[in-house]
Amino acid sequence: MAAVQDGPMELDAEKETKPEILSDGTSNLSGNTASGTLSSSPLTAAPAGGAPKMEDQQTLIAVLQFLKRNKLTDSVEILRREAGLGEDQEDSLATDGSGGGKGDGDGGDAHSLLSRVSITSAVAPQNMPVKRADDQPDVSVVLSAYSQQGDPSLYQVYYSGLKNFIESVLDCHRAELSQLFYPLFVHMYLELVYNNHENEAKAFFEKFSGDQECYYQDDLRVLCGLTKKEHLKGNEALLDFRTSRFVLRISRDSYQLLKRHLQERHNNQIWNIIQEHLYIDIFDGMPRSKSQIDSMSGSLAGEARREVNKAKVFYGLLKEPEIEVPLDDEDEEAENEEGKPKKKKTKKDSLGSKSKKQDPNAPQQNRIPLPELKDSDKLDKIMYMKESTKRIRLGPENLPSICFYTFLNAYQGLTAVDFTDDSSLLAGGFADSTVRVWSVTPKKLRKVKSAADLNMIDKESDDVLERIMDEKTASESKILYGHSGPVYGVSFSPDRNYLLSSSEDGTVRLWSLLTFTCLVGYKGHNYPVWDTQFSPFGYYFVSGGHDRVARLWATDHYQPLRIFAGHLADVTCTRFHPNSNYVATGSTDRTVRLWDVLNGNCVRIFTGHKGPVHSLAFSPNGKFLASGSTDGRVLLWDIGHGLMIGELKGHTDTIYALKFSRDGEILASGSMDNTVRLWDSMKAFDEVETDDFTATTGHIHLPDNSQELLLGTYHSKSTPVTHLHFTRRNLLLAAGGYNSQ
Amino acid sequence: MASPKTVPKDAQVMMQILKDMGITEYEPRVINQMLEFTYRYVTTIIEDAKIYSTHAKKSNVDADDVRLAIQCRVDQSFTSPPPRDFLLDIARQKNQTPLPLIKPYTGPRLPPDRYCLTTPNYRLKSLQKKVSSSAGRITVPRLSVGAVSSRPSTPTLGTPSVQTVGTKVGTPVSLTGQRFTVQIPSSQAASVKSVQNVLINPSLIGSKNILITTNMVSQNSSSDSSSLKRKHEDEDDYDAL
Repeated sequence: MAAVQDGPMELDAEKETKPEILSDGTSNLSGNTASGTLSSSPLTAAPAGGAPKMEDQQTLIAVLQFLKRNKLTDSVEILRREAGLGEDQEDSLATDGSGGGKGDGDGGDAHSLLSRVSITSAVAPQNMPVKRADDQPDVSVVLSAYSQQGDPSLYQVYYSGLKNFIESVLDCHRAELSQLFYPLFVHMYLELVYNNHENEAKAFFEKFSGDQECYYQDDLRVLCGLTKKEHLKGNEALLDFRTSRFVLRISRDSYQLLKRHLQERHNNQIWNIIQEHLYIDIFDGMPRSKSQIDSMSGSLAGEARREVNKAKVFYGLLKEPEIEVPLDDEDEEAENEEGKPKKKKTKKDSLGSKSKKQDPNAPQQNRIPLPELKDSDKLDKIMYMKESTKRIRLGPENLPSICFYTFLNAYQGLTAVDFTDDSSLLAGGFADSTVRVWSVTPKKLRKVKSAADLNMIDKESDDVLERIMDEKTASESKILYGHSGPVYGVSFSPDRNYLLSSSEDGTVRLWSLLTFTCLVGYKGHNYPVWDTQFSPFGYYFVSGGHDRVARLWATDHYQPLRIFAGHLADVTCTRFHPNSNYVATGSTDRTVRLWDVLNGNCVRIFTGHKGPVHSLAFSPNGKFLASGSTDGRVLLWDIGHGLMIGELKGHTDTIYALKFSRDGEILASGSMDNTVRLWDSMKAFDEVETDDFTATTGHIHLPDNSQELLLGTYHSKSTPVTHLHFTRRNLLLAAGGYNSQ
Repeated sequence: MASPKTVPKDAQVMMQILKDMGITEYEPRVINQMLEFTYRYVTTIIEDAKIYSTHAKKSNVDADDVRLAIQCRVDQSFTSPPPRDFLLDIARQKNQTPLPLIKPYTGPRLPPDRYCLTTPNYRLKSLQKKVSSSAGRITVPRLSVGAVSSRPSTPTLGTPSVQTVGTKVGTPVSLTGQRFTVQIPSSQAASVKSVQNVLINPSLIGSKNILITTNMVSQNSSSDSSSLKRKHEDEDDYDAL
């Protein structure tokens, strides 16, 4: 059946002719123009002579129905004559048309629209004239995805019928089939609203909304306020919800049950909705239990299809470059050909630091162009290695100390914080559109002298780098003005020369930390940009905003290099993978997606959160991803396999900050409930290693061991935690704005 | 929060709306903000609807007028992000081009200058040494407000200032934005007026005409030279956009 997407896709080829016939280039179908082209070119649809294929017949039938409905009788005659169709053929084929022709998943095409229109005339006698008066062609086509409808007063009957059926099946199947309730409910409700049956829609909503799962309550509240067709137009997330297919994973047995039940009934309304709007990913095996289903569901588009998460992801780290260190005998790690800082060998670490072999899971060095190291970068790396020798080993017995930086007098205006990697500078983005930079160390902030003064210094002296700095205006903090809206994201560059800030005004600004002025404004998102981050190697940065895309930029291009489109709602959080080849985005549609920088493809979709995702963190070895959302849970994902491997419950409010310690042993999470919690990530990931993955179906039964993994909870007086940062020596720094209420 | 009895009816309605939408925690100011927005939006729509209905020579404002007013305003103020298929389309186009190679050792990696905010949007004119008596002054409409500042500021067009000291006011000359040199022969005074180049950036002007008023000054006054200093910085006070 077409709803199961292992069917053939070559139906598309035949359907290509249809858009040409119908839409003369635009998808705006108005009766008159369509009829003109239709009457003249039905021949292109019917192959000359011979028996036309099944799909072409259906195409013609659909066209005929459309013409009839718009009372274009002459065209109907001409078409019928030329295509050689008899009157009786129409009806017999129309009923079949409901089954076939559904292989295409793209709801926005004119041809699939028309196939639905043909079914409308077959299934239900009363039709509403499809309104195409909207000026935006794409929106109108999308909205007219609801032109099909059955008798509005029977919707409740259909739904109750399905409910009774599902309640009567075996327990093992019931949990799986209950997944159907929510998408069906929403789609039926939206159909009623679109077709202007306001009262029936309201009655339908009242009767059945209480049955839905608790984690869909927010969506239902939004739906409750949508009672007219006009309300639908402005709501982008809902528009996307309807054109994208809601994915359900059901075992084959349960699916057979469902199919049998629905097909033996006369009114196939529910079956039609399933075919158009739902995508049922069938797997062979045991049906899943309720808890398993609950852990994976919750996103706006259902779960993720299995093949989406099958692409190969290079999650390994790039090799560190060789750096020759002069003289210092402490740095014998530098003589390692890879120059990696010493890492404690964990049983899962297969990257031997002395091996010259390419890690099969790591990307090639030149997979994406990366800036080469300058001398200053090499000096930084040497400093980094020196510091990492003094790093404290953390563990369940050895918890880090936490130093909390509280922003006073921010009056809830602190919207973003970032630390440099060496923890020397701290930047805060505020709701009054300023960005302030502080020096965390006693060393003050200095900017470069003006051009006139620079002329006068001696360029050959040894300390020229100090001389170019202006002592007179040295201060502990500097304020950067430029944005015209609250600053929602800040990010330092790894070489500490630049600062990025993203704001509600739709721009991302690059500031120089040498002159403390704004260098560039990157315009592309025209809507608030919620987050931005520099790549771990500098040069690239990623930003995500209200327009539901994340963009990859390079500092020397005024336009983005990559656009990561696919989320159904705002992108709230963007993070680079440590090897800079992948970008993770968390969104308000409750999914986390992993994108490949090289070609912009989405390589992983992780569902399971029940609220918008606000924080992400990659583990330092690149294998795992942690995500936190408004529901107070932290979910752990295995990137290589594409599976959820852990769930950390404990927070009671949105988690805005997540950070792994420098060696990945501890995960720290900070939330609006004024606490910082430390979790034992080594243990969480170790358990994964020994388990037997049911990798084909991807269904893990997660043990509820949040309590064991929680190592400590630390409360602040009344300061929500906005940001967390582990220093190079594994001291935990936290930042937040004091909230006096 | 004020007790429900003393709160005006509109505010009570707004509180009820917030409750229905499931918003339970909010600052008291939110109600005022929502009421202000509602009032502004509704009056704008109704005013527009009134205009449309008078245009259609109807005696009353009816639902169609209101519908039209809403539709027109929606495209102006409440734009929404592009639809998903459009985004997927442009993403596909953008993602097909390979990532550009990075040139080595080029200093700070920034876009071309015209896309950066690093160039100053003003230029100081060097003063002519000989500011003589009969300085014919060209007053150009002020294109920058106030003194030169180091922050980028948007140029604003001011009114042309006319020197009324002169006895004769020249006819306004309209230009189409070319670089030109104005030379005003001093008819009254003895000394020759120094030539002043007036640079007008064609990109800013476009097709606008700039009114240049040329004036002749008869007197030699020191005040002229000082006012000269002040008034002629404005030639170059605009950014190359």
